[in-house]
Amino acid sequence: MPADTLAPQPGIYLADHRSSGPFLTLLRYRELLRQLVIRDIKLRYKRSVLGFAWTILNPLFAMAIFTMVFSRVFGGGRQYPLYVVTALLGWSLFSVGSTRGLESVVLNGPIIRKVFVPKAIFPVAAVSSQVVNFLFSLVPLALFMVAIGAEFSASLLWLPLPLLSLTCFALGISLLLGTFNVFFRDVRYLYEAGVLAWFYATPVFYPPEIIPDKFRFLLQVNPMYALLESLRAPIYLGTAPPAHLFIPGLAVSLFTLAMGWVVFHRYEARFIHYV
Amino acid sequence: MSRGWKLGRTSRLLQPSDTDQESRDPGSEPHLGPLPVVDIAHLSVSLLLHRERTKSIREYTIRVLKGRRIQRDQFWPLREVSFAVHAGERLGIIGPNGAGKSTLLKVIAGIIPPSVGRVVVRGRIAPLIELGAGFDQYLTGRENVFLYGSLLGFPQKELERRFDRIVKFAEMEEFIDVPLMNYSVGMSARLGFAIATDVEPNLLLIDEVFSVGDAAFEMKCEARMEHFKEKGVTILLVSHNLDLIRTTCPRTLFLHHGRIIALGPTDDVIAEYRRFSATSAPD
Repeated sequence: MPADTLAPQPGIYLADHRSSGPFLTLLRYRELLRQLVIRDIKLRYKRSVLGFAWTILNPLFAMAIFTMVFSRVFGGGRQYPLYVVTALLGWSLFSVGSTRGLESVVLNGPIIRKVFVPKAIFPVAAVSSQVVNFLFSLVPLALFMVAIGAEFSASLLWLPLPLLSLTCFALGISLLLGTFNVFFRDVRYLYEAGVLAWFYATPVFYPPEIIPDKFRFLLQVNPMYALLESLRAPIYLGTAPPAHLFIPGLAVSLFTLAMGWVVFHRYEARFIHYV
Repeated sequence: MSRGWKLGRTSRLLQPSDTDQESRDPGSEPHLGPLPVVDIAHLSVSLLLHRERTKSIREYTIRVLKGRRIQRDQFWPLREVSFAVHAGERLGIIGPNGAGKSTLLKVIAGIIPPSVGRVVVRGRIAPLIELGAGFDQYLTGRENVFLYGSLLGFPQKELERRFDRIVKFAEMEEFIDVPLMNYSVGMSARLGFAIATDVEPNLLLIDEVFSVGDAAFEMKCEARMEHFKEKGVTILLVSHNLDLIRTTCPRTLFLHHGRIIALGPTDDVIAEYRRFSATSAPD
């Protein structure tokens, strides 16, 4: 008799499953989350000849380009492509996930105006579908590692941890900036420009050692450095993520996620008037 | 709870008639007990109408720096609305355009949060407010059944179980694997109606959605509504079609400018509405 447990309280809105707090409500809509991720993946490659193969080809092309352009500059070697591609996959999970995540609330405005739905589901779905994409691209990554004769070590088992940390960070940014984007649509454009600068400020395709000493502090304040190095270590170095990077990275991720979650749900009720 | 605005007009609450009482079927939803399915007390919804809508940070900062207040008009789509609907009751909602009828349904459906007051809804809602919200034009009918169904909160298993019946009701057997962009407007509305009503809701919110198909489909919709009536489903029906209201709802609510003008037996309220429309300036 769940209905009777809803004791009427003044000033509080109660309606069957909608009254149980944002997290439980989101959990109840996990089927919708699955459907949204499926929709995203299906739509991405509809009407394309190679379809799903693009998930595999895209990172390979990007890697090939970076290798051609930069391998001489950065002392190359056979391992340079692997160095680039691991961080590149992580970077695209973060940048595409957070960009799509932050605009997802506004893009789904037509739904929000017509049906009750926990609004956080849209950023969560956008980031989740990038995680799925990342997992798919581990297949070409493995093939590539075989091709260049890279070593598969037991430290690959660490991979889920840095992946989780990175996902939390992307979702946190999505929720936080997604909230602002509802009220000020230029957040999205500012972020797109910012993300490009951020990419070049992060050692993705260059080694951190080339950064001049006076700019070293940038690495200290850039959580993406810690997050990507933690992701890179198990694949490229064959070691566990370095604790001095992984732990602060995880801390920043969880803090960002918590802040994003709180801010998002604080303003969620007003979204309806702005989307 | 009210925030310093006054009711300009006292609402007239007409006494419920005996027919109203008879229409309730106390046996249909025994677990709900005597508590009303919809219980609304002192509900007000406020909107800030931005005369100059600021949607960019630059504009906003310039305004704030210049010391110009951002002009906003507070507007109340619903003011001080209180009523209750019990299990098995069918309540009609009438009023001129802009009276707040759709806003009221959206508040009950959980889409718009109340600004003041208390709204309690007990039970499973089937919102027939805008059919097919969230349909994706690029996905097939089949894919959309699952997307829209999960948007309405139905579990996957339930949708699989009901899938064939939904498709049959919507008369979509041939086209179910075709992308929705190739559907006619009527076809996707039919599919939306079939999905949204293929449940056992105990509260049905209907906002002018009956003109979705041809005469044959309309009859099927009516049959389904009849079925809901017999099952003792609580129905809130917004319509400008007073005949439909009269045949469906024993009790009716008359809204104007967000306030309840009259609430009571349908015939009396419709008479009041006619009198009101004749005397006040037409909207």
